[in-house]
Amino acid sequence: MASRAEAAPAWQRGRVASWLVTTDHKRIGILYIGTSLIFFVLAGLMGLAMRLQLAQANADVLSPDRYNELVTIHGTSMVFLVGVPILAGFGNFLVPLMIGARDVAFPRLNALSYWLFAFGGAVLMGSFFADGGAAKAGWTSYPPLSTQTEGNGQDLWILSLHILTASSIAGAINFLVTIHNLRTRGMTWTRMPLFVWSIYVFAWLLLAILPVLSAGITMILLDRGLSIGGWEVQANFFNPDEGGSAVLYQHAFWFFGHPEVYVIVLPAFGIISEVLPVFARKPVFGYKAIAFSTVAIGFFSMLVWAHHMFTVGLPYSLQAYFMVASMVIAVPTGMKIFNWLATLWRGNIAFDTPMLYALGFLSLFVIGGLTGIYLAAFPIDWQVHDTYFVVAHFHYTLLGGVVFAIFAGLFYWWPKMFGRRLDERLGKWQFWLLFVGFNVAFMPQHFLGLDGMPRRIYTYANEDWEGWNLTSTVGSWIMGVAILLFVWNAVKSRTGPRVGNDPWQADTLEWYTTSPPPPHNFDEVPYVTSARPLYDLRRRLREKEGARALS
Amino acid sequence: MRVLFLLVGSTLLAAIAAPAALGQLTPVTPESPNADGIKDSYLFVSIFTLAIFVLVEGLLVAFVWRYRRRRRQRFEDGAQIHGATNLELMWTAFPVVVLFLIAVFVFVELPGIKNVPAAGPRGELEIRVIGRQFYWQFEYPNGVIAIDTLRAPAGVPVRLEVTAPDQDVIHSWWIPALGGKIDAIPGRVNKTWFQVDRPGLYPGQCAELCGVEHARMLGAVEVLPEAEFAAWLDERRAGQTAGTSELGAELWAGVCAKCHGLKGEGGIAKALAGSALLADPQTVETIVRNGRVTRRATMPAVGAGWPAEQMDALTTYLQESPPSGE
Repeated sequence: MASRAEAAPAWQRGRVASWLVTTDHKRIGILYIGTSLIFFVLAGLMGLAMRLQLAQANADVLSPDRYNELVTIHGTSMVFLVGVPILAGFGNFLVPLMIGARDVAFPRLNALSYWLFAFGGAVLMGSFFADGGAAKAGWTSYPPLSTQTEGNGQDLWILSLHILTASSIAGAINFLVTIHNLRTRGMTWTRMPLFVWSIYVFAWLLLAILPVLSAGITMILLDRGLSIGGWEVQANFFNPDEGGSAVLYQHAFWFFGHPEVYVIVLPAFGIISEVLPVFARKPVFGYKAIAFSTVAIGFFSMLVWAHHMFTVGLPYSLQAYFMVASMVIAVPTGMKIFNWLATLWRGNIAFDTPMLYALGFLSLFVIGGLTGIYLAAFPIDWQVHDTYFVVAHFHYTLLGGVVFAIFAGLFYWWPKMFGRRLDERLGKWQFWLLFVGFNVAFMPQHFLGLDGMPRRIYTYANEDWEGWNLTSTVGSWIMGVAILLFVWNAVKSRTGPRVGNDPWQADTLEWYTTSPPPPHNFDEVPYVTSARPLYDLRRRLREKEGARALS
Repeated sequence: MRVLFLLVGSTLLAAIAAPAALGQLTPVTPESPNADGIKDSYLFVSIFTLAIFVLVEGLLVAFVWRYRRRRRQRFEDGAQIHGATNLELMWTAFPVVVLFLIAVFVFVELPGIKNVPAAGPRGELEIRVIGRQFYWQFEYPNGVIAIDTLRAPAGVPVRLEVTAPDQDVIHSWWIPALGGKIDAIPGRVNKTWFQVDRPGLYPGQCAELCGVEHARMLGAVEVLPEAEFAAWLDERRAGQTAGTSELGAELWAGVCAKCHGLKGEGGIAKALAGSALLADPQTVETIVRNGRVTRRATMPAVGAGWPAEQMDALTTYLQESPPSGE
């Protein structure tokens, strides 16, 4: 790679240009992560604006239409422009390094994936300026609402998702081929880092579910009516007036939508499985159980979609099936939680920022998991479905869970990505602000939901809800401050302290090479003898030194 | 570190204890047997979720406290334990047992939640609930129509057939005290029910995003003593025929005012106070039945499919008491 970079034409060697034309998985990974973080800040600001509107009853901060646009784009962005791509970014940067490869299998396809993602994101954000504003039918975009709303926002939403889907499918194929073919000598399937396992299942899931989403949103597009050069298409898939079914889309959407949650959650689990052992100075407890449960969760996640549809009036026997199937997922998830806890047991625990985030993840994700049981039990779901209880539930899994894991990953791998550390003191302040702000923002939403406050309402007249809503808004702004601290920390790290190859004394191959790694990743890769190649290496070194000292 | 743990621990405890004391950790107080069954299931699940919450968070805090580094070397190995098959089998089996118990409990409660009690000597009532942008229309067997507030007799099973017109969007019918929600979907008829003994007003609102004024699509059930209900139903029936009922006022408040303002002062839609159109029944009917598309806004066909009696109620009301604007 190094020689190829030198052979590149002059215009490609500039500071900016070299990033625009790069096919290096590490740079593409960093581009993914950086771009996702920008979308994270934008979508987060949308959340803060919505919280301002809801801080008081009958408030007038946002117009109803604007609020519905924010509801839609906040959700869509957090899933498609933050959750999936930032983890794909970690996957890009880490998978080849972790398996001792020089790059992904198809570097140029990888660059295409990134640029499609960036373009798709720009289309979604740009849709605010479209005729009629952005899409307003929620990130789920149920018809007939989504087929009836006027303006181009909904069409751009569909276009954006199509572009992002193409990006993700190309990326998924790339990950699968890379993991299957490019593992270094000695790295068998059961010696692969658990993060790589999670990206492996992530990729299979994306391949399985995204085409179904594409079908669903294409049907919305056709139902909205197309006119190409005088050629009119008007479909009625979801229009009961013409024999269509309004519920059909929900099946397609949730067949995609539920596994999509695990697409995001599994790599977050993967990050936790890498961070916990390093800061507890132990091997992960039950490697095979964790790897297996990742596969099991991925598989079962495709069999539970209609638990999002318990209120559409499905036959009771079907609801019963979907309840039991959803509960089945709790079993491998529980396995993971207990395995992580056992990883802490009898460890030598250090509270560096990555570990704080990993522990924060554990404490919060459990709450999101437990509230999921209420939603799986369908009669209870009839009561709490589409209320703030659900909003609280999925924010505990996706913000308290995934975002905390992402910060654990950022603080943990930042030294590897940039050769410099993030500031620990700022990092700890950020953690505690985020942890407290998060609970203040989302714990009360459980109570609001139980008290009858539906989600996706731009205002409420019930003054009993004011107290908790105001509390929640205050919490959200505390989180805003925490994110600001991170942005400052990231900028500051450009002049932060330099680190060596392996500042955390970690176990996986990415720490064997320099920080940041050279374009070709490794001069040589040690033969892998277990799931902790660097631990083995250090032990052999110690033994050799011990033997020398004895002689 | 220690101080921080105590601080966070006590905040979390306070966050849980305060609302628990106020009864906010449970759904709204049930007033109908199906809501009762749901709350019982909720409480049963809570036994396990709270126990697991305490167990997991307790272990987490205990391990973090007990196995923190203290004076050990930064990179000194912890115990090199790779797993323990029996232990892992145990904590795989444990959730299976818990979930099995929860599923069994749900199936035991289910009949009491989904099945309408048999009609007693006082009979039963069936009402059609139609969700529309952005109001609830209730149709009684004798043709009486009501908007947004469903009146029902105490002590009698009330069956609801919940739907939405073909050209409308999906809504969700939900009165928290009276049971779970059920979607009102174009082209489908869903069923639910309630039976309330205590007269009173039970509020709720649409629970499925249905468009710009979704947040204002409130609904309520007003349970009246049986005789009072019968009197109301007869009076409304006669009033609807004679054109003297309260229906006109209900239509204005429920159908028009959410966008145009209760006094016609305007809202997300233009002000109607003082508009000459309101005095002309024919124009009002045309607009209300077909909706209206202007360059700036689209008014849905809020009155498509209304019977003549219902349309007359609105036009008469508008002529007799046009919105004042103030």
